[in-house]
This record gives sequence, structure tokens and C-alpha cells, in this order.
Amino acid sequence: MTIERDELGFDAPAPLGHPGRLGLRPGREIGPAVGERLPDFELPDASGRRVRFHEDRGDAKSAVVFYRSAVW
Amino acid sequence: MLSEFAEKQKIPYPLLSDVDSDVIRHYGILNDQIEVGDAFLYGIPYPGVFVTDERGVVVAKFFHDSYKKRESPELLIDAALGRIELSDDAPRVDGGDAEVKITAAIHGGPGSIRQGIRREVVVRFELGDGLHIYDAPVPDGMVPTTVRVTGPAGLVVEDTIAPPTTPLRLASMDVELRVWSGTVDLRVPIYGAGELVSEVRPLDRDSISIDIEVRYQACDADTCLLPKTERLRIQVPLDVIDIPDISLHTGHGQRVGNYDGTRHLVRLFARKVLPHPLGFLKFLAKSIRLERAARRRGADRA
Repeated sequence: MTIERDELGFDAPAPLGHPGRLGLRPGREIGPAVGERLPDFELPDASGRRVRFHEDRGDAKSAVVFYRSAVW
Repeated sequence: MLSEFAEKQKIPYPLLSDVDSDVIRHYGILNDQIEVGDAFLYGIPYPGVFVTDERGVVVAKFFHDSYKKRESPELLIDAALGRIELSDDAPRVDGGDAEVKITAAIHGGPGSIRQGIRREVVVRFELGDGLHIYDAPVPDGMVPTTVRVTGPAGLVVEDTIAPPTTPLRLASMDVELRVWSGTVDLRVPIYGAGELVSEVRPLDRDSISIDIEVRYQACDADTCLLPKTERLRIQVPLDVIDIPDISLHTGHGQRVGNYDGTRHLVRLFARKVLPHPLGFLKFLAKSIRLERAARRRGADRA
């Protein structure tokens, strides 16, 4: 793979335009907005336990982080 | 895979698997520029963070125009708490005087600069009783509070984020001014770009100087102190990124993590690529085309 620097100044080990490098267009809004309640979901954690978001959170504040991968 | 990752990276919070990207789709954050067959990429979200209050209502969200831009965890905690929690060991420098104490600190992570990871230069004013400082705009002759952060090429400095002001009516001048009093944190987000702290080249220096010019004028109800310009400098370490130990990434001067992603990649390949052979052929053709274009532009071979 070829190292290239993109228009925002970031380096990555992939050529420009590679699908893995495509980010949000500037100004594009996605996902629930500030002021909305996050939709509930149920997903397994690393040990296979089902986590129900709002129920498991209880009365706690939360940070829900969406990331691309832990391993690449 | 996630359990090994969590254990080796000492991650104390739950890591969830959205294997079929159902939640990602439901939230409307699927990366829709990636096509089925684009190797193991299809199904990833635009990375970002939602911070909620106790009711689960979003109070802050962080999505950027590049997947390289990520918040330091401390900035998420600040968003949840509604205040800036400066760590005692953040790189910092003190200034000011008896009336106005000033502290500038690099907030987030260990205070280092990494490619794309957003930290903040926090300038904290601790104003003596009865004193206030001004937000722009102000009438001629008065000085609004400004913070200017500069550093070497490749240090990206975003716009200053200020807390809400309170209105102050000056009857004598018939104007309403916007002021801050007490403890005031002005925050300037910063991150490194490739020119300064690439993730695919070894670092060429250990640290950089960040210069912070603070200008302000403090007044009480009756009189104003002289305007002041304070120049502060903080030495800030540069840092590389952590990557998993897979041949796809290694060899560019990053810090190779102690977890091996190969097994997971093989599984991803079987799940996402094998069912879509035509899509994958298209992806390979696209990759070759992009590689050739990059070489024509004279980019480095990794």
C-alpha cells in the first residue's frame, strides 16, 4: 500500500480515495441529534453477555463510542 | 477477539459487537461510501461519540470529516460533566498576577500530541472577587479576552470554545457587554497532522513548543486594571499511535500493540468477502487503480 497525505493533512498507509480513508463530507450531520434520546439497543459484550443500553445504564450518564475496529 | 483486546489494552468499559451493523444502521451512521465487497471494510460506521445525560438524551456528539480525528477521553468526560476536569499531571504553565491568576494546560490523554487525536489547550482565568473580563465585541478603548495558540507546522489549531457569558449593562456608555467572572476556562482544540506527527513515519523529534498568547482586561464595577498580554509556552511531547500487530499496518514507526489481529482479520474476510466474490474483484481492481494513481502522484511506497 502507498502512503499518502490527504487534503486535511493526515497520513495513512493507503492511497487517496481508498474506501478505508473516506470520511464524512464536511458539514454533513448524521445520527441522533443533540437533545434527542439515543435509540435503545441490545448487543453482546466481549464475554458474550447481552447488554441492553438504557436498562444497563440505569441512571448513569453515558458515552457511546462508535469505532471502526479494534484490530485493523 | 474483543475480550483479548480489552484485557491487553486494560479497557474497563464494555466493548460491544455490532456484528451485522444493525445498530450502526439504525443510528444512521453506517459509512455509506463503502461498497459491499470492499474487503472487510463494509459495515463500519463513521466513527464518533454520543455523550448522554442521565435520561439518555444526547448532550454532545462528536463526528468529524475525517476518521483520523478523535476526541481524547477527557473531552468526553468534560461534555458529560459540563465542566473541565484538568488533570494534575497535564503539562501546564502558570501566569497572571494577584488579581487574575492564569493557568494554561494541555488537556487530554497524557498531554501529548498524536496524529488526529484532539486535545485542548485550556486557559483558565481565576478572577479575584468582583472582577470580570470581556468577550468580544467591546467598545473602542476596551480589550476583549483572546487566546491565540501557535505551534510548529502541522499543529492544527481550531477555534476557541468559550463558556456562556453574563450580560453587563454599562449605563454610562449605554451598552450591554458580555462578561465572565469567577473561574473561566477558554478551550482551544488542537491536534497534530501528518507533517508534524505522522502515523506512518517515525517521529523526528520528541517534543514541541506551543505558544499561547493571552490578552485580556479585568475590571470591577468601578475601575479597570490595565490591559495585559501574557505570553506562555508549554513544552509538549509528541507521540505515535498504537496499532495492532498485523502485517497490514506494521513497519511505519508506530507503536505495535501487544494484540494480534490476524485471526480476526481471517474471520472477517470469510464473513464479508467470500460471500461477495464479484464485489471483492471490483475492490481489487479499484485498489490497483488507486495505487497506480498514487504512484503517478509520486507518493511513497509503504
